[in-house]
Amino acid sequence: MLFFYSVLQLVYVVLLAPLVAGVFNKLVEIFQSRNGPPLLQPYYDLFKLFGKQSVVPGSASGMFQIVPYITFTLYLFLTLVLPIITGFPLTFGPVVDFIGGGLIFGAIAVLKKIAALDSRNNYSHLGVSRAASIGALAEPILVLIFITFGVITHTNNPYVVNNVLQSSSHWYLSLIHWFVVLAFFMVLIIETGKLPVESHSNNELGMIDQAIEMEYSGAELALLKWGSYIKQFLLASVFLNDFLVPFFVPTKPSIPAVLVYCIVHLVKLMALMSVFAAIESTISKYRLFKNFEYIAVAFSFAFLAIIVFYTTGGNL
Amino acid sequence: MMKEIYLIVGFLQIVLVILMQWQVYLRKIVLTFAASSVLIALFLFADGLILNSANLIVLATLTLVIRATFIPAYILKRLNKSHREREPRQVIPTASSILLSLLLVIVAYVVYNLTLFDITYIKAGSIPIAVILQGIFLIISRDNAFVQLIGYMVMENGLFLFAGYMFPELPLIIEGGILLDLIGIVMISGILMRLREDAISNTTEEFEEFKG
Repeated sequence: MLFFYSVLQLVYVVLLAPLVAGVFNKLVEIFQSRNGPPLLQPYYDLFKLFGKQSVVPGSASGMFQIVPYITFTLYLFLTLVLPIITGFPLTFGPVVDFIGGGLIFGAIAVLKKIAALDSRNNYSHLGVSRAASIGALAEPILVLIFITFGVITHTNNPYVVNNVLQSSSHWYLSLIHWFVVLAFFMVLIIETGKLPVESHSNNELGMIDQAIEMEYSGAELALLKWGSYIKQFLLASVFLNDFLVPFFVPTKPSIPAVLVYCIVHLVKLMALMSVFAAIESTISKYRLFKNFEYIAVAFSFAFLAIIVFYTTGGNL
Repeated sequence: MMKEIYLIVGFLQIVLVILMQWQVYLRKIVLTFAASSVLIALFLFADGLILNSANLIVLATLTLVIRATFIPAYILKRLNKSHREREPRQVIPTASSILLSLLLVIVAYVVYNLTLFDITYIKAGSIPIAVILQGIFLIISRDNAFVQLIGYMVMENGLFLFAGYMFPELPLIIEGGILLDLIGIVMISGILMRLREDAISNTTEEFEEFKG
């Protein structure tokens, strides 16, 4: 039965990830008083790209073409192990904890960077160097956040964290939890490439992750794009289910409850996307070197959570 | 109840000082300071209500009127229009100063536990000391007189937090006196800074803006 839920979760994430991206794009345009692309535009893009021929740089090795397939598979694996529509562990749930999930996200980032370097494109190299310097500082924040959760829940398993926060108002309302939420929200903005850290325009000034896939085309580009939609979906789901609103997630296997939660989860995601769209429309992009100040503040929040734990003895 | 309010206000003070280190425009630093003063006033007000002390409520009102409204408004008025939206020069780069400010919180925690904790037995007593140290650091990390003035007042916010939680019985005349002194200091330094800004030719500073 757990296997059925796993398949359901996989299909749910893979099919709806582009929709969430489409809703975000549409909301940003609406907030800026424009009509914007149709909601299903990401699907049209993927469909179009899958029908196109791939062009590979002559100087690139075989690695360049394989990487999009590997990273997409890794995203599919992550979909099976994170609490997205269920609060009880699925078939593959016990395989990895938070740190393991973080490592897989890290592995995907490294593979993408190696492939981008392999393309010998100047802009890709520029993107790799930016993404690496920002990633190197953002990853420790994530680790610090997971350690804090490890301290307050005595585990690193995302399902247990969800159950603890869902059942204990003491931890949910604690200052430690809210500092962690703030820090994760700031990291979420970095990881999903939203303003004020990264702007998706056609010039290279604001490019970070966008520049990495510069040389890709055809099905490979489609897989990379689809992968990044799934990444955004997964990180936003983890943020919602384990950090901000751990409520309503079904903790007992029951098909009606899970199906109802599928819709509730989508509503939560839409609310989060409108917050992102509001930020996107109101805040201007930081200069590239100012991003590190933003990361330093995110790190401060994550670290303050631990200081709160020690100064209060975990009583607040 | 008092402890929870103290902890929340205390940690928000620490966060607000970190945000002040992050801000580049003077206007936003002044507004952040106003927000932190409002929090201190709320803390004193809650303290007064819980301890049933009229002194503390008077002090909270004074803080709200002087620190949270009058002083920020006065500084904003004193600032030249061009300076209001300008980045002050930084002695220490912003990202490093944020991290150093965070480090001071840990230093305060360690030093407090080694020394004062044996007298007070209050576990979270290191928070006001952290705010005071952060205020000192705000003064040395920026090369702008207005930010330094705010750093000084952040230190005082830390003192009020300290006194409000640990010694709420402190006579009103002392704390009120500190508050009223502050008006004089701010007004005189406001005039001095204005004179200094007018006297020093800022041709070189205009080119500072071209630096990234």
